[in-house]
Amino acid sequence: MPPLLTTIVFLPLVGAVVTALLPRQHTAWPRMAALVVSLVNLGLVTWLAVRFDVDGGLQFVERAQWIPQADIQYLLGVDGISLPLLFLSALLLPISVLASWKISDRPGFYFTMLLLLAVGMNGVFVALDFVLFYIFWELVLVPMYFLIAVWGGPRREYAAIKFFLYTLFGSVFMLVGIVALYLHPAGGTFDMTALVGAGFPAGFQWWVFAAFFLGFAVKVPVFPFHTWLPDAHVEAPTAGSVLLAGILLKMGTYGLVRVSLPILPEASVAWAWFVALLGVVSIIYGAAVAFAQPDLKKLVAYSSVSHMGFVMLGIASGTPEGLNGALATMFAHGVITGMLFLLVGMVYERTHTRLADEISGLSKQAPVAAGMLAFASFASLGLPGLAGFVGEFLSLVGAWRSELVPPAFVIVAAVGVLLAAVYMLWMVQRTVLGTPSPAVSGISDLNRLETAILVPLVVITVVMGVYWSSILRYVDPAVTALLAATGGM
Amino acid sequence: MTVDWVALIPALPAIAFALLAPLPRALRNRLRWLGLAAVGGSFVLSVMAFAAVWPGGVKGAVAHDASWAIALVGGVDLSLGLRLDAVAAAMLLMVTIVGACVQVYSLHYMRAEERVGWYFAVLTLFTAAMLVLVLARDFLTLYMAWEVMGLCSYLLIGFWHEKAGPRRASQKAFLTTRVGDVGFAIALAIIYATTGSFEFDVVLGSAADWAPGVATAVALLLLFGAMGKSAQVPLHVWLPDAMAGPTPASALIHAATMVAAGVYLVIRALPIFEASGVALTVTMLVGALTALLGGLVAAVQHDLKRVLAYSTISQLGFMFLAIGAGGAVAGMFHLVTHAFFKSLLFLGAGVVIHATHAQDMREMGGVAKSLPATSVLFGVGALALAGVFPFSGFWSKDEILYATWKHGHHLVFFIALFAALVTAFYVARLWCRVFAGPGGSKRLVEGHPVMLVPMGLLAAITAVVGVAAPAFSEFLGYTGHWPDPAIALTSSFVALGGLALGWLTYGRRDPVLNVRALVTRAPRLYSIVEQRFYFDAVYDRLLVRPYIRATEELSRFDRVWVDGAVNGVAALWRAVSERAWEFDVRVIDRLVNESARVSRASGSTLRRLQTGRVQTYQRYVLGALVALMVWIMVKGA
Repeated sequence: MPPLLTTIVFLPLVGAVVTALLPRQHTAWPRMAALVVSLVNLGLVTWLAVRFDVDGGLQFVERAQWIPQADIQYLLGVDGISLPLLFLSALLLPISVLASWKISDRPGFYFTMLLLLAVGMNGVFVALDFVLFYIFWELVLVPMYFLIAVWGGPRREYAAIKFFLYTLFGSVFMLVGIVALYLHPAGGTFDMTALVGAGFPAGFQWWVFAAFFLGFAVKVPVFPFHTWLPDAHVEAPTAGSVLLAGILLKMGTYGLVRVSLPILPEASVAWAWFVALLGVVSIIYGAAVAFAQPDLKKLVAYSSVSHMGFVMLGIASGTPEGLNGALATMFAHGVITGMLFLLVGMVYERTHTRLADEISGLSKQAPVAAGMLAFASFASLGLPGLAGFVGEFLSLVGAWRSELVPPAFVIVAAVGVLLAAVYMLWMVQRTVLGTPSPAVSGISDLNRLETAILVPLVVITVVMGVYWSSILRYVDPAVTALLAATGGM
Repeated sequence: MTVDWVALIPALPAIAFALLAPLPRALRNRLRWLGLAAVGGSFVLSVMAFAAVWPGGVKGAVAHDASWAIALVGGVDLSLGLRLDAVAAAMLLMVTIVGACVQVYSLHYMRAEERVGWYFAVLTLFTAAMLVLVLARDFLTLYMAWEVMGLCSYLLIGFWHEKAGPRRASQKAFLTTRVGDVGFAIALAIIYATTGSFEFDVVLGSAADWAPGVATAVALLLLFGAMGKSAQVPLHVWLPDAMAGPTPASALIHAATMVAAGVYLVIRALPIFEASGVALTVTMLVGALTALLGGLVAAVQHDLKRVLAYSTISQLGFMFLAIGAGGAVAGMFHLVTHAFFKSLLFLGAGVVIHATHAQDMREMGGVAKSLPATSVLFGVGALALAGVFPFSGFWSKDEILYATWKHGHHLVFFIALFAALVTAFYVARLWCRVFAGPGGSKRLVEGHPVMLVPMGLLAAITAVVGVAAPAFSEFLGYTGHWPDPAIALTSSFVALGGLALGWLTYGRRDPVLNVRALVTRAPRLYSIVEQRFYFDAVYDRLLVRPYIRATEELSRFDRVWVDGAVNGVAALWRAVSERAWEFDVRVIDRLVNESARVSRASGSTLRRLQTGRVQTYQRYVLGALVALMVWIMVKGA
């Protein structure tokens, strides 16, 4: 059996090739192939998580020379920071496949793209060589571009090109950062593990941090680099939205934790106030703009900007609480926002509208859908006992504790928790409650498949919300080790 | 593994909820008694818990302590925990008794509802959360239960969500209390940053050593949270609207238990308030203001449930006042007595509303003739609320007045006394308008026994529990002088005086005190009170509408400027490249004819892409990508 991580990363590629080569007349084959591959992938990642030693640091490392002339290695590994994200990616893949079950337009191409996307997503979270990391990072763009541009809504071409170019623009700066680290005498390698504690001079760190940050900030996205997100979400098919919000956004904040903090610790301290500031602005700005959106997908998209602000705040704090909170929010947001996008998609399929004004009284007409939507909304607004609370609460606590983040920021961020309730309840009030609107009357409730897609996410949301260790047992040792390696912040 | 019986107290209703929630509606409706059974079980266990603490319950003594680690953060264990002490034991009994009474009552009251099963499920979840809150051994557990209660309150207020009123009210309740929760959450962050723990023992034990600014900040933030939950001025505005929910739910949540959680929080966190000093004074003043304003507004409301709601606000104010004045035990005692008599009043109001199909007191009158049993039971609660000897309210209110006077807060004492007078006045007003008088010719239907029996139980407790006041105080660790005859006489005089005043105004055919005259004499003053001191209007004008406008402005800013900048850059680039292309065509094309041909050829390829023949292109991209990946794999392996 080949090494586990390589299998996990490239199994979807094999699936993609197979799916692409399937005969065209069998329209049901691609989705079956994709489902099988995604479930095997989930099984493998679960198996990895079971075998993972929480106190063992970096594990399942695979190292091979790849292009020795430039000292580029094939280097994979997983630790407590990447494992939850790898799991999230593996979890959302079969859900996305099932959510796309009814795709009839060129299904072979569609599922090929979905699986290709999985290669990039899995790869980003386990690659430990900068070149490999960058390849996976960019690889993600292509299938997502096609998912939006081919199966998207009316303005799909605009949204897809904007998404592609904007994030490409960001990652160019990241590439500059990578090359700078490589060319610096203290660096001289693409090995991300070797660059930790390399001792770059502070001034050099300062501007390399800025370059990386630009790349990450577009991906997160942080205000004011966020405007590609609502467009991409609105136009993307449901599965695209789920993976975009669930995984792709996390690549940005993952980059901050994986690259910026350990490799550029002094710059991370110097920039902390700025990162926190953008985080706080995103929290409030995202929440306020979300409230004004008539389109449910846009509302959820802007809520993502707000939630990712908490992640930024937690990372900027540089405290164990803040970093645990950031990772917890990343995971929880993937699950909860996934639910929200799935539900909006399911409602849209029936009502053919996403405008909150045209959808009301779901609970009377489709109680299961309404109940799920209300549940996801309360999870999203950070109700204690559900997953969303864990990370936001720890981020706030960590930020207050941190000397890098001014207390005023924390107070403003706490107000953001209130504003989240404002837009979410407003949404629930208009769509879930009340008497059925014309668009809603007569629609069917969720079918078994749709319910089955959502139930695992509901269960995870509750389990994580009640038993925080279910995720933090992986995160905390890794975060502690990270802070120790950088001498604390 | 042994079963932790104290943990079972909240676990039983929690399990009942978990069983009920996922069921299909019809089955859930059929199993509505499950919640009652669970709360009944909790009651039995609560009696055991009380017995375990009862004789010699010394303040601070913990009879039972258990915790479960839920996370390890930065090497520090975060855990949820339960513990049993005297205060918790008293609260357990109160919550389970009122909770069970309300569930029994609801069996009849809510029987015709389509979603009755959901109603009971949420009521049961609420009870579980309240029991967790009561037993919490740390701030984190308390906060989590606190928020879950807020959710249940939201769900029950909005139970009839097809109607706009309940829908709006539920949202308002959740958001207003969450304003307070922002303070609570920041307080938690400061507590953790200061002590590295959320546990009461650690936090409260060290509170005296905190920098005075920290203690004051934490105490005031906690108070802010408590003010949201307990509907204290200026965060009280949600509670009157919350009356849009089913009446028995109001009785449990918005009269007896959840709204008292804020008071309970302050009592639990008392050492922090004491370390601050200032915070205690603020607590007292907030309470005094609320007791007064709430009472005044209650005296001019026409909606029966709203009178009771403002009365609740006012009585909660008494509790804060007591705690702030140094009489935490008195505040706690009033919390318990109030829970019984106010839930009794609400349940009674429910019978009246069902019978008369009205909620406006001006449409009622003479109800006592056709609803004798309800009237007697309601009367017991009303006399307790007015503070008439020997009903429970007399004792607890007297204790509050005594504590206020003894600690030298004489001005506040007189405010409290005046608020007590107003209380008795509006009680008399309510009685005269609803129960007394000639009444309609219509024969009303008396409450069903299933509703009257739990009311009877609450009335019995209200009638006798006051006698237990000394024992109760001692149980909670209060040592000192018991009733001062002078104060007891004064407060009795005030209570009777208020009742008399109310009767003179509303009870007689030819009123001795003419309200109309008062209204015409001081129209401005009356309208300020009648408009509930304009809190809602001011919030709407200064917060709600500006926020909505701001979000719209920001949304436009986002579209026009932030996104506009992006599109602008793109447009600029396109313009530049078009110019370049033009240059290419006009200048270079003429020079090098061959290159133009190439350009045209590629142009037509691109056009083909745009006309939908994407497959060809896809193949290329796909092929290239796959080839690349295979190459990487081969090189990698």
